[in-house]
Amino acid sequence: VALATKQRQWYFGLSVNERTVVHQWPSFFSFGSPSTFWAFLWKYSFIIPSVFARPPKNLRNLTAMASTEPPAAVTPPSSKPNLLPLASPTIITPSAAASVAVAPTASSSSPATPSVATPRPIPSDAEVVHIPSYSCWFSLGDISECEIRCLPEFFDSRSPSRNPKAYKYIRDSIVKQFRRNPSSKITFTEVRKTLVADVISIRKVFDFLDAWGLINYSPAALNKPLKWEDKDSKSSQHAADSPAGPSLDSTPPVRETSKRLCGSCKSVCSIACFASDKVNLASSFHCNGIHTIKGNPSAAFCAIASLEHCSTNLVLIVLNQYDITLCARCFVRGNYRVGLSSSDFKRVEISDEMKTDWTEKETLQLLEAVMHYGDDWKKVAQHVGGRSDKDCITHFIKLPMGEQFASSAEFGSSINKLNQMKDDNNISSSSSPSKRLCLSPLADASNPIMAQAAFLSALAGTGVAEAAAQAAVTAVSEMGQGEPKADIRSLHGVQGLQDASITSNGSGILKSVEEAHSGVNPKPEEKEKVNVEEEIRRVAEVQMKQIQEKIIHFEEVDSQIEKEWKQMEQMRDILFYDQLNLLKHERAIRKSGQQAAEGVRTQGDYVS
Amino acid sequence: MKPLPSTSSKTPVKFRMPTSENLVPIRLDIEVGGQRFKDAFTWNISDPDSEVSVFAKRTQKDLKLPLAFATQIAQSIQTQQTEFRSYKGQEMLTGEKIVPIKLDLRVNRTLIKDQFLWDLNNFDSDPEEFSKTFCNDLGIEDPEVGPAVAFAIREQLYEIAIQSVATARESRNAKKGRRGEYSSISSRSTGAALDLMKLFSNRYSGVRKRKEWDVFEPMVDMLSNEEVAALESMVEKWRDLEEA
Repeated sequence: VALATKQRQWYFGLSVNERTVVHQWPSFFSFGSPSTFWAFLWKYSFIIPSVFARPPKNLRNLTAMASTEPPAAVTPPSSKPNLLPLASPTIITPSAAASVAVAPTASSSSPATPSVATPRPIPSDAEVVHIPSYSCWFSLGDISECEIRCLPEFFDSRSPSRNPKAYKYIRDSIVKQFRRNPSSKITFTEVRKTLVADVISIRKVFDFLDAWGLINYSPAALNKPLKWEDKDSKSSQHAADSPAGPSLDSTPPVRETSKRLCGSCKSVCSIACFASDKVNLASSFHCNGIHTIKGNPSAAFCAIASLEHCSTNLVLIVLNQYDITLCARCFVRGNYRVGLSSSDFKRVEISDEMKTDWTEKETLQLLEAVMHYGDDWKKVAQHVGGRSDKDCITHFIKLPMGEQFASSAEFGSSINKLNQMKDDNNISSSSSPSKRLCLSPLADASNPIMAQAAFLSALAGTGVAEAAAQAAVTAVSEMGQGEPKADIRSLHGVQGLQDASITSNGSGILKSVEEAHSGVNPKPEEKEKVNVEEEIRRVAEVQMKQIQEKIIHFEEVDSQIEKEWKQMEQMRDILFYDQLNLLKHERAIRKSGQQAAEGVRTQGDYVS
Repeated sequence: MKPLPSTSSKTPVKFRMPTSENLVPIRLDIEVGGQRFKDAFTWNISDPDSEVSVFAKRTQKDLKLPLAFATQIAQSIQTQQTEFRSYKGQEMLTGEKIVPIKLDLRVNRTLIKDQFLWDLNNFDSDPEEFSKTFCNDLGIEDPEVGPAVAFAIREQLYEIAIQSVATARESRNAKKGRRGEYSSISSRSTGAALDLMKLFSNRYSGVRKRKEWDVFEPMVDMLSNEEVAALESMVEKWRDLEEA
């Protein structure tokens, strides 16, 4: 767990250098507008739910496992010298917390190797293989305990054709076959046609490898954090192969859009079309101008990293989504943009398409409902009326960024509370009544905590949420030491921190965000940045002071102990002397007694 | 190591595939609504029956076949399974049984012709191993050839095993009943197999006759696309003729 948290913290950083959370947030955060915050949150919650679910796609590029990293570091410790096959495909194991499906992660037959490296230029795809971190025990040269456990029939010599050698042959062939073309999923039938073995053995090994993500695992497929992604990917896969004819076992998703025009051939879609609403364009906005970075979000992140370095101007990342519609013919021909694959497209039956665009009123209702109900899309759907919950979510995601909804009355009590919060921080000033509603598409991210955090931080505004979360993190990390955070509190001036340190870890972030100040106006970004840096400095100073005080305290205790020790010694000496004296006196008395006795005798002699 | 049976023993043995594992060759040839699906693979008879439906469903999904195929595939597999199992209790003759196995198959673009001798008595034999070595040695790149070769071998072995069951039954009846025809029947039973003694009786060495070299040499040929197309159309015509 410690390892996981460490890695998670690293991910928060997402920087070129390996800086920690606390230091890294600000530099990413120096954007003033909600859109950028949204962008950050997009990144952030993209990662965090993925940390719980699956490794995120962007890590693929950021954590480019350099080919310089020796294969030995990646393979499990039981690696033997003949592990050459790993030399050419370097395996990236984006570290993640254990995935949902896999219980055997607890087995820890070999420790998860922390494989994340600093982002480097991406190696060509041919060298890169992705497997989830819970499968890092896998190596082509060996059979690991995990496999023996999961497929015992190959190792218990019950049947002569199921032996370790056969198992290895089947497994290696399947894996190699998949790796020859890692971007496409390999089917069981393809595999079994090429393997010399009985088909049931092949199927067992295939299912095993599939379950552990050693084949048919591509981070590109993990793009959608939405809940129904499985159905979508399934239906799109089905649809992908039977474009014109009726697809027998896929249910075409019902979408509400108007007449569709194919993106590439510009003709009206007739029977069916394929739509992709993948969020994959990123544009970065310099102070000087607008640069658009097209491509995957992963590319965007690299761009962010590189841009961050190259300019002192701030980089705002605005992620648009790319709504592509292709008619069946174009889809089949593969006329889509680079960066999309056939699995990104969802089949849409024109005949099933219902209504139309969302009216203003409906949009307003949607936003209201989202404000009130947050994550509960059923209620939102009820509130909006006439739209299913999935439609609501889809539309919500699609809403353009930076839209402003002026009246604060719409936002309910929470904003009013925020407005009333006091602030003695030198960063913030009076709250602005007009809030900008940052519509984060993350409100329905699979991780409920993140969804809440995202939503609330969207309400609170960028700098506030950032400062609050930062403070909460420091508070949380210091809570273990059990010291009061009076200094920090005063420094940050974030009142919510008090609550954060009192309440439990889990709700700390949320609470601090909730009760954090309102309305940090979008000041010029530099000033914010400077202020925040100052705050960090102060935090560091305070911590140093604490440590110094501790040292002094210990020194005092030390000297006191020494004194006491000396006293003890003195007392011991005194005691010793006393004893000595006592003995001397004793002897002296005895002697004098004897002498006296003798004297008496002699005197007696004289007398008589 | 199993002790080798004496050369002239005709002790009956429980029916099984004369290979190290009781793998059954399954051939599928299903036609549903104008779509034809042909396939051939090896199946482990000791696997539970639930595997049949799972496999059928999987195949149907992977190949994007219409749903009706799944049930048909499952049915076909099951019939062949039961057929195999029906032989289970029976006995079959073993003895000196070196049989020639012939390979004459076309897989995608590779044409294979070969003939070799196979020892039916060797219950440790492994057609899979043979096939893997075969493909490696001949440098066959198409990975689908391997399973096809193994399947062909198994199929032939299966046929021979079935035959030997039939002859065993016959010989048993013959033993019980008509003694007179015993000798002719027994000689018939070994007709399918080559007698080792006979094979090597008139030679001083184990080397084959020169004219038989070509027959026993494996031949692998790669066809071009047109030839493949031509062959397939011929097969189609032949099949239509048969059906008509």
